Amino acid sequence: MGRRTVSIVLLVFLAAISLKAQDATFEASVDRNPVGMGEQFTLSLTLGNGGMGGGKNLQLPDLSKFHIMAGPNQSTSMQIINGAVSSSLTYSYVLQPKEMGKLTIGAASIEAGGKKYTTAPLTIEVVKGSPRPKQQANVPDDLNVQIGENLFLKAVVDKSHVMQGEQINLTFKIYTRVSIANYAVNKNPALTGFWGEDTENPKNIALTNETINGKQYRVGVIKRMALFPTQSGTLEISPMELQTVVQVQSRRSADPFDSFFSNPFGQNVNYMVKSEPLKIKVDPLPAGAPSGFKGAVGRFTMNTVVDKKSTRTNEPISLKVNIAGTGNIKLLESPEVDLPTDFEQYTPKVSDNINREEGRISGTKTFEYLLIPRYPGRKVIKPVMFSYFDVAKRDYVTLRSSEIEVTVEQGTAQATPLIAGGAREDIQLLSQDIRFIKVSSGTLSRKGEYVHTSGTFIALLLLPLGCLAGAFVYARRRRSVMMDEIGYRNRKAIKLAQKGLREADVLLKGATPANDQQSSKQKLQFYAEISRALWKYLCDKLNISQADLSIDGTLAMISQRSANTELTASLKSLLESCEMARFAPTSLEVATMRKTYEDAKRLIVELEQTLNTK
Amino acid sequence: MNQNLIIAALLLYGSMLAYSQTPDQAFDHANQLYQQGKLADARDAYEVILNNGYQSGALYYNLGNVYYKSGNIAKAVLNYERARQLVPDDDDLLHNLQLANLMITDKVEPTPRLFILDYWDGIMDAFSLKRITWLAYFLFLAFVGFHTAAILSRSYQGRRLSILCGAVSGLLFISAGFIFVGKMSTSNRHDTAIVMASITTLKNSPDSKSSDAFVLHSGVKVQITDSVNDWIKIRLADGKVGWMERTAAEII
Repeated sequence: MGRRTVSIVLLVFLAAISLKAQDATFEASVDRNPVGMGEQFTLSLTLGNGGMGGGKNLQLPDLSKFHIMAGPNQSTSMQIINGAVSSSLTYSYVLQPKEMGKLTIGAASIEAGGKKYTTAPLTIEVVKGSPRPKQQANVPDDLNVQIGENLFLKAVVDKSHVMQGEQINLTFKIYTRVSIANYAVNKNPALTGFWGEDTENPKNIALTNETINGKQYRVGVIKRMALFPTQSGTLEISPMELQTVVQVQSRRSADPFDSFFSNPFGQNVNYMVKSEPLKIKVDPLPAGAPSGFKGAVGRFTMNTVVDKKSTRTNEPISLKVNIAGTGNIKLLESPEVDLPTDFEQYTPKVSDNINREEGRISGTKTFEYLLIPRYPGRKVIKPVMFSYFDVAKRDYVTLRSSEIEVTVEQGTAQATPLIAGGAREDIQLLSQDIRFIKVSSGTLSRKGEYVHTSGTFIALLLLPLGCLAGAFVYARRRRSVMMDEIGYRNRKAIKLAQKGLREADVLLKGATPANDQQSSKQKLQFYAEISRALWKYLCDKLNISQADLSIDGTLAMISQRSANTELTASLKSLLESCEMARFAPTSLEVATMRKTYEDAKRLIVELEQTLNTK
Repeated sequence: MNQNLIIAALLLYGSMLAYSQTPDQAFDHANQLYQQGKLADARDAYEVILNNGYQSGALYYNLGNVYYKSGNIAKAVLNYERARQLVPDDDDLLHNLQLANLMITDKVEPTPRLFILDYWDGIMDAFSLKRITWLAYFLFLAFVGFHTAAILSRSYQGRRLSILCGAVSGLLFISAGFIFVGKMSTSNRHDTAIVMASITTLKNSPDSKSSDAFVLHSGVKVQITDSVNDWIKIRLADGKVGWMERTAAEII
């Protein structure tokens, strides 16, 4: 047994060695082509007859345009057919394309049996991902396709190129060759940029027949709308989605569509129909809109009514502006009413009545203005202006009412502004009355006559000024005199001297010849008086102080100023006799005294003349 | 000058002949009419005195009362304001003017001003032109008198006292002079007016086609800042500015 076993094994090995003679192959393949975007596919790199050792140094091609989802997975297979043995080694990768279009998978290479093998490049076509239609519950794919061919929803517009604000009629129609048990709107179209108004939506759908591509469909209108674009540009009406319940016959039937109507006990299938989106081109309104234009498009008429032509203050009037016609009536804004400024105006009350018959939106819109006149008079409300764009004429039209005239009389109702002061103090004050008139006329004066321009006033003004000036002049003179003391003394000298002499004269008259103590004292006084007057006079006149007095000095000064020697001599004798008398009073007699007095009197006058002339 | 006086005297004589009463008698007569409730007659009587060229604070005040009683608040305010220029500190007048101002439609909130301006106005309102004239005159008299005394005074003490008193009276005289000049300039300016039209729309420019600025009702006091043809530019106490027709307002 041992020897035979060994020989069989050897045989097998020998056989295996003999297989080497066959050439190796290396190929790349994909499981499907084309591939949907987002779908996965398998790339297989197969080395045929690569020998038992398999391949070495597998070089992958550039796979940067794919996601490698899985791999490499290796699998080997060996076949012996009629003694010919073939083997294969497969590397498989699961890939997902990253982009659309034709993608090339380049060459891959591998070494086997000392030789290098390469694959040919592959081209993969990636198409737009078509995720497989979601299968309706219990509905096989083929049935969906079959229904789809026989049931669709269509959106139809009467115009696809309009002016802004122009009416478009949009109709959704269902075309069917199948029996519909029920339907419900799943999604209404989004009408961005439009104002939409439903028109005549029938409760029961009346079906008509229509032939398309040789097939006869039954057609029902699901929805009718009037659209008014509120902006310009290209606007899209998004699809409408309709959930339908379709009756189909049992699948066992040979041909389900032939016997729909004959077999009422069919199967109910849910099916969603969807219309195609529509594009509407909207042109903007032409330039040159009147100032009062507020976007009304269509054709309108206007009529204004005032409920009364005459009123009283604070009693309201109602002004009705009625706009009727076809067009975007719901979008109409209240026209401006230009009121006299003393009218109080409130925001208008708006009511509309819209008629949707015959697919045209028409109707009336009424603006009711409440106006309260606050002041009496004849008031004119300027014409109400309303502008619209006439689509048919392609031009703007301005409607204007006639002027409205209102007569306002003074009403009895108190105007509110009187109370508007509101504060408590104000009301208290209002309850008071004005104070009584002035009984005194308060000195009536001529207009434009002022106190300060009257002559009396000016005189009164000048009077104190005159006094001031007089005082000033007087004070100035007095002051200059006071400043000149020498001159003052000089001028006063004679007066003082004569005053002294008068006193001496009094003493002289009182003197008696009696030679007693009493009379000798009087005589002494007399001489003292004469002497003092003379000296005082000389001091003042010559401007010397009494301390500096001496007979000689004084006489010298006089002789300096006057050449009259006789005068100086008599002055000297007089002064000396006065001195003498004062020291020997008893020998004096009245006659001598009289002579002395007369001499003094004469001398002073002479001196005055002499010294003044100097 | 003499001729003017003669003419004035003749005119005066003529008017006295025509009405055969002195202005004071006419005033008393008008007062009687007022007391009898004959407002229209009283108004005419007062107006006649005014038309003859006479005026006084009491006359304007009484006329304002007549208008107030007849419901013409704007005219009442106008006459009270005229009276105020002559007798600015009359208590009755201020009371009645305040009442009349409460009756007018527009409430104008004055913008806050520098306090010193309010003080100045208060001082100006405290004196009538006549009173400040005489006050200034007596202060002037005192000033001159004290100076005369100072000049003539022999003693140093007396002179010093006189100069001190003279300086004080001089300062007072200068202040009074300022007030007097201020009073004169306000009484000669004629730049305040009362809106007479029951309602008037103020424009942004002196043109009836111009845009509307705001609306005023009768009785509002406005300051005239400019004028063009038949239009005057006015400013309200709250700072609003607009143009109105000259005829819609009457200058105080």
